[in-house]
Amino acid sequence: MKDNCICVLMVCCVCNTPLHGLDFFVFLCFSDVNSNSVAQKIYVEVNNTVPCVRLLNATHQIGCQSSISGDTGVIHVLESEADLEWPLTKGPNPPYMILLESHLFTRSIMMKIKKESSRIAGVTVVVPNTSPSEFSPHTTCPNENTGVYSDTYGPHLAHCNTTVWNPLGNGLSYEEFDFPVFSLKEDKQCYYDHNRVVNGSAPQYPLCAMQLFSHMFAVTDTATCMRRNDVINFSINPEMVCDPLGDFNVWGSIRPYNRSQLGHRDNESVVMAAARLDSRAFFWDVSTGAEGSISGFVTLLAAAHALRDVTQVAPPTHNILFAFFQGEAFDYIGSSRMVYDMQNGKFVIDLDNVHSLLEIGQVKRLVDNFQSSATGANFSLVEPGVSQPLPPSSLQRFLRAQNIPGIVLADHRAAFNNKYYESYYDNADNLNLRYPPNMTAEEQLEFLTDTAMALTEVATVVARALYKQAGGDGTQVDNIKADSKTVTQMLFGFLVQANNSWFQALIPPELKDMLSDPPDFYVGVASSSPAKAKPLTRLVQFLLANLTGTATNLTQDQCQKPDDLPDESVQMYSYLWVQGTVPHNGTEKGPFCVRASVRLSQALSPAFDLGEYASRNYSTWTESRWKFIKARIFLVASRDLEMLTLGVGVAVLFSSLLVTYFISTKADVLFSSAREPASAAY
Amino acid sequence: MNLERLPNNEKLSLCRKYYLGGFAFLPFLWLVNVVWFFKEAFLKPAYTEQLQIKTYVKRSGLGLLLWVAVLTTWITIFQHFRAEWGVVADYLSFTIPLGIP
Repeated sequence: MKDNCICVLMVCCVCNTPLHGLDFFVFLCFSDVNSNSVAQKIYVEVNNTVPCVRLLNATHQIGCQSSISGDTGVIHVLESEADLEWPLTKGPNPPYMILLESHLFTRSIMMKIKKESSRIAGVTVVVPNTSPSEFSPHTTCPNENTGVYSDTYGPHLAHCNTTVWNPLGNGLSYEEFDFPVFSLKEDKQCYYDHNRVVNGSAPQYPLCAMQLFSHMFAVTDTATCMRRNDVINFSINPEMVCDPLGDFNVWGSIRPYNRSQLGHRDNESVVMAAARLDSRAFFWDVSTGAEGSISGFVTLLAAAHALRDVTQVAPPTHNILFAFFQGEAFDYIGSSRMVYDMQNGKFVIDLDNVHSLLEIGQVKRLVDNFQSSATGANFSLVEPGVSQPLPPSSLQRFLRAQNIPGIVLADHRAAFNNKYYESYYDNADNLNLRYPPNMTAEEQLEFLTDTAMALTEVATVVARALYKQAGGDGTQVDNIKADSKTVTQMLFGFLVQANNSWFQALIPPELKDMLSDPPDFYVGVASSSPAKAKPLTRLVQFLLANLTGTATNLTQDQCQKPDDLPDESVQMYSYLWVQGTVPHNGTEKGPFCVRASVRLSQALSPAFDLGEYASRNYSTWTESRWKFIKARIFLVASRDLEMLTLGVGVAVLFSSLLVTYFISTKADVLFSSAREPASAAY
Repeated sequence: MNLERLPNNEKLSLCRKYYLGGFAFLPFLWLVNVVWFFKEAFLKPAYTEQLQIKTYVKRSGLGLLLWVAVLTTWITIFQHFRAEWGVVADYLSFTIPLGIP
């Protein structure tokens, strides 16, 4: 035996009962707890599992749920939609665990499985190498209940009556499944060895089975789960069951604002520029949102960078405020919070101070045929007619509160051009981000892709438009140019590899582990302090600070406490100590202190501050908690064999009890021969 | 404790203590009373205190049946309707199961 087996011999002498002469020997064998090799011989743990989790809002619960002790099912690889007959009706070994290739992960198949879910233990989707031609698990009408159009305001434009924004959406992300759905790497060896259906006859036991654990604590809706969070005072096991979604918005301005002066500012008129940061997918925590959100906020970051120099030389009349909203995929968490703060005097400006708002939506295809030699803008901006509603955008939340002039810049007139809206496939390939082969990561970082050039064009136009809108000097407009190197480095960092030298130079040295790959853009659960904001949010904060702020000569201690110095003020600026670059010629630049007017503001839905968990006006999305999520594969025996083994065991138990009883009653007969000499001597 | 070795008047006082104690919302004391003193009250040959013990055991049995009926009814109703009652049920619950309504 390979494992350490410490065997303990226990001698138990039972004294004052009829079992007088019988000693019990109990043989206990403890194996080493850590190796536990019996379990390792049975179960094969599946690594890198991505579950689908439960999310709740004011009225519904969506997502997937497993039972508390996991769901076990015999693996069945689905060949086609017609093959569903086997696990759902014909197969003799229910429950089944269906393994789907990604092209079969469609609404019709999932709905069929959902209807007959008594025979289905769960579904696993194989992670593909290439994207399908189109796939969007989001709804056809994103955020339809929390935009500006409602039954009282523009009813013919509400609920996508005029324009269906996401026609390819199959709504899978918003369905409720009472079985677990996981996304795994392909591993069909066990299936081919044991479970193949040969000539229509059922495969023989033992069969390959998979067990999925993803038990979610929250249930019904947000009001229920928040109430159960609060009831923990009186119950013996205090368990939080859900957490609100949220994070932090990043905002920065050309001229700084004193952060201790909140509310309305007299004679202040600000041009706002907005973009969204987050996206989502069907599975938890794997979203990228390349076309959906990255194209937008990278363009805005480049535009902010382009405006840095000219606004110092020739400052415009109005201030320009850049805002990056988190949580927009879930009923506008970030923008609704900022509007709420503005309405209640908790933000540095008021809604009356907002002059106009320019939002950058999905802008990938604005420049279709880019020519590298072109210098001017390579696209024309077209305004659709007044019968066209606004697409889902943060501007809608501002308009819900107040009439503000606004523009949404997008590459689609009516329906989205994005074929993978809010899905796992909205990645670098969707943005046509292509690098020549055989390049190292550092070379790819510096390489100017076509996509980067295209977005640079858009950023230049946006920057010029913002400058003119803010009343800047007309002669300076032509000097505003976005930097394509910055854009391509940002695209590489956000879509290919976040842990690169440029990003590392922009963040503090102690936060280097923040850059993990692959980058993930799901908003996640809200945290209370900005230090615990999502890595993506902090990365955008540091990017905006480096791109719009100035490098100072402060030392690290001065950077922590700038108020000691006469010219610096923590109320006006934020001071960030960053790593700094190591230029190629070898001279160490080293860390330095960046002074920027960039701040984080909380992006938690006002519904949670107000306690209106069933609110119709604000986002009420929460994410359930869970204990652990794992998957494992093992061979399973037939039910008959299990019952037989149990029966034999019980029979052995009773027969041994019977034998013991008989021996004890006849003890004097069986064991008398040795006693007689002793009793005679007595 | 072995009842064999107690004098009869002490048996009576013990039975009375358990009977009176059960009125403090402690039906298990009545259960103990019934089980422990059953042989004494009904199966032993008669002695002076046995009549009193018999009445105590009978009344404890009645009280026990009443408690069992009330508790069974309440437990059945609560387990069946807990999910539907929503807020009220959550405030009544000592421990709320996770993941199911």
